[in-house]
Amino acid sequence: MLGELFYIFIFPGFVFLINFAWIAEFIDRKIYARLQNRVGPPWFQPVADFIKLLSKEDIVPAASNPKMFKIAPLFALASAITAFFYIPLWKADALFSFNGDVIVVLYLLTLPTLAFFIGGWYSTSLYSRIGSVRSLMQLFAYEVPLFMGILSSALLADTWSLREIAVFYTSHPYVWMFNLLGFAIALVSLLGKLEKVPFDIPEAETEVVAGGFTEYSGRMLAFLRMTLDVEMIVGSALLALVFFPFGLNLHPVIGFLIFIIKILFIISLISLLRTVVARLRMDQMINFCWKYLVPLALLQLLFNLTMKGMFFR
Amino acid sequence: MSQEEKIKEELLKKFNYLEGSVNIIRPRRMSIEVSLDNFMPVFAYLAKELELTHLCTITGLDEQERLGFIYHLTGESRVMVNLKTSVAKANPLIKTVTSYFPGAEIYERELEDLFGAKVEGLPQGNRYPLTDDWPVDQFPLRKDWKPALDTEQGVDKNA
Amino acid sequence: MHNSKDFKIPIGPQHPALKEPEGFSVALKGEKILGVDIRLGYNHRGIEKAAEERTYIQDIYLIERVCGICSHSHSTCFIQAVEEIAGLAVPRRALYIRTIIGELERIHSHLLWLGVAGHEIGFDTLLMYSWRDREVVMDILASITGNRVNYGMNTIGGVRRDISPEQSQEILIALDILEERTKYYIEVATQESTIIKRLSGVGILSREDVLRLDAVGPTARASGVKRDVRADDPYAAYGELEFKVITDERCDVYGRTVVRVKELMESYKIIRQALKNLPDGPIAIKAPRKIPAGEALSRYEAPRGEDVHYVRANGTEKPDRVKVRAPTLANIQAVKHMLRDRYLADMPIVIAAIDPCFSCTDRLIALKEQESATGKIISWPALHAYSLEWYKKQGIDFTALNKKLSAKGLTG
Repeated sequence: MLGELFYIFIFPGFVFLINFAWIAEFIDRKIYARLQNRVGPPWFQPVADFIKLLSKEDIVPAASNPKMFKIAPLFALASAITAFFYIPLWKADALFSFNGDVIVVLYLLTLPTLAFFIGGWYSTSLYSRIGSVRSLMQLFAYEVPLFMGILSSALLADTWSLREIAVFYTSHPYVWMFNLLGFAIALVSLLGKLEKVPFDIPEAETEVVAGGFTEYSGRMLAFLRMTLDVEMIVGSALLALVFFPFGLNLHPVIGFLIFIIKILFIISLISLLRTVVARLRMDQMINFCWKYLVPLALLQLLFNLTMKGMFFR
Repeated sequence: MSQEEKIKEELLKKFNYLEGSVNIIRPRRMSIEVSLDNFMPVFAYLAKELELTHLCTITGLDEQERLGFIYHLTGESRVMVNLKTSVAKANPLIKTVTSYFPGAEIYERELEDLFGAKVEGLPQGNRYPLTDDWPVDQFPLRKDWKPALDTEQGVDKNA
Repeated sequence: MHNSKDFKIPIGPQHPALKEPEGFSVALKGEKILGVDIRLGYNHRGIEKAAEERTYIQDIYLIERVCGICSHSHSTCFIQAVEEIAGLAVPRRALYIRTIIGELERIHSHLLWLGVAGHEIGFDTLLMYSWRDREVVMDILASITGNRVNYGMNTIGGVRRDISPEQSQEILIALDILEERTKYYIEVATQESTIIKRLSGVGILSREDVLRLDAVGPTARASGVKRDVRADDPYAAYGELEFKVITDERCDVYGRTVVRVKELMESYKIIRQALKNLPDGPIAIKAPRKIPAGEALSRYEAPRGEDVHYVRANGTEKPDRVKVRAPTLANIQAVKHMLRDRYLADMPIVIAAIDPCFSCTDRLIALKEQESATGKIISWPALHAYSLEWYKKQGIDFTALNKKLSAKGLTG
């Protein structure tokens, strides 16, 4: 019991996750800055931002629905953190596990987007409304390729449980290489989920100010930003497990280091991608996801089905 | 024959009342003075027949009793024609040229705001460049208009 | 308000997409723009009126401040008109130096634009890169003129500072760096697919529309209209230099980008020629304080397009009338046309594509706070007292704090 509480609240749960999220945000911003020839923030900047926001006044727009407006950020943060407990990190085991948890994790990661929509919609500001509708529209574009990409790996392992995926790939080393196309698809879709360039359409500042976040300030804004950081970690951890499931049966310390390296690798890829491209338009993004990502994901699924039929019966 | 002389000749052929009011200032610069009654036909002829397709801007002038307007036209021939007309200040009514140059709308609004010209045929729209609560009888670029100075309490010494 | 089908969204007067205050009210249906209502005038400062009340020399510096980016354009355009009225023969060396500064300014303005355009389409990397390279030309301008903006180079009858041989070496070195970088940008602009996707087909302005709406500068040239004052009505040293007028047939934002980037290359060429052929001689001649009566119209190809100044002199040391028409004013009508039936996401880049400079566009009007139609003036102490009172009503009282601070001698 006590062990589980420690797991949830301290390590690798809440406290670790938040700290890691800050470090990840710093690394993302630093890489982004260095690639752009800037100096970039000091290491404590994300923490400083968070503390500063906590000390700021919370402004709730008079025309908004205060309950929904206040609840949305907490709801988003809670669901992103919950998803973390189902993912095996550096050993082939997680805190909670059952057959079908891969679906649960994916849906827990969808909930923050819905919360952003609700928060933006109930802010009743014009920019928030457009931004929140955009984030929902975007959801329909990237969600399908993301699911297909991740499930293609599960399909090969013949299970809907993340723990068993880990077990399968540990006993079949190098098989994860079959899923590299799926990884690319899932990574691009993850950019959509994290609302980063080129898919930062919902919060495109030159069009809709800050989209659904426009009316948020103080603590609630801090939680929203924290949610995005945590989502980045959880998303990367999920991708790391599903697509790079190696080093899970080693000594915990080495396993932990490998886990950190995997996450940082995925975060650097995200920073790199958002450095080299411009923001797409909504119609272009939907086109891109359905015309290119989905057929590619189908190709990966087909490939994995064939492989499974041939080798892993 | 230079472009300027060609324009001058064709103008004089068409409108004999322009005799003496068409001047070639220097290469690529001409000025024409025309009374308000004759303005529209001359303007239309310049814009359509002589292919001065680019209206650079409209300058407003305050000439004591009258308001002057200079239409700066140019085109492929590269000659800049300054077509000048004027109207009595008491009834400063001019016609819009937006049917020839839709882009002139903003220049005409400027004349309305800053000189108090009344432009006939200008569609409804926002003011430019003054604020919406600017008094309707104040025209800053007229010579008799002076910015009100802060005489009440003098300039604040702490500011 | 509870459906998003058809509502008006304000872009400005304060909005992250705009670097200067201007009001755009956009009627939207979903993501589609039904119509745009433009309200200009937030930057109106009364420069035309103020110019009538100052001497010609003072006016140079006033006119230079019409705009921060194209300051040299405005001051050159103004003194060209004054010199024409006064009949001054400006030394050739001065004309060449004006040309060089003008082209350096164009380089700095176009690089600035490239960065802003990158930012508007969410490509911040381009912004960071091009603004870093812009520092090179800013440094050159600073070393020649002493200022990064508002150079103060022009005076009636010539220029105020000479370009030494060492400085022209400096410029040539900088040009090599810039040329190499510009080639890289041309490569980026023609190969990066997200840029092409975001820019092509956006903000279409056909050749006919350009002629109808009187668009100028790169906006007009990107629609295939060869409209460039440097070639059409040569001023300064442009008549003696060889350069191409860049046009493009694409008619969209992408075309405008290509035109601007290629114009950078032309600018390098012009500066190299001008430095090579820089004539010897004085840089200025003495100009009279009182300009004889007369009038003149002067045109100048600013980075954003044709700048027009009209000056009328009445024989005194102050002008009778100064009229300024900045390029953005000529292009703003076209923006309305370009935005119709486009997506909201295109709005920032379409506005940015004319390289708007609203502080140029609006000028005039002196200080007069209007509280009612009668025009009550609020003085500074009254305004100060009013603000304290207003905050007191909101429950924030500064009086005690003020006393405490002044007791310690911390306030005035």
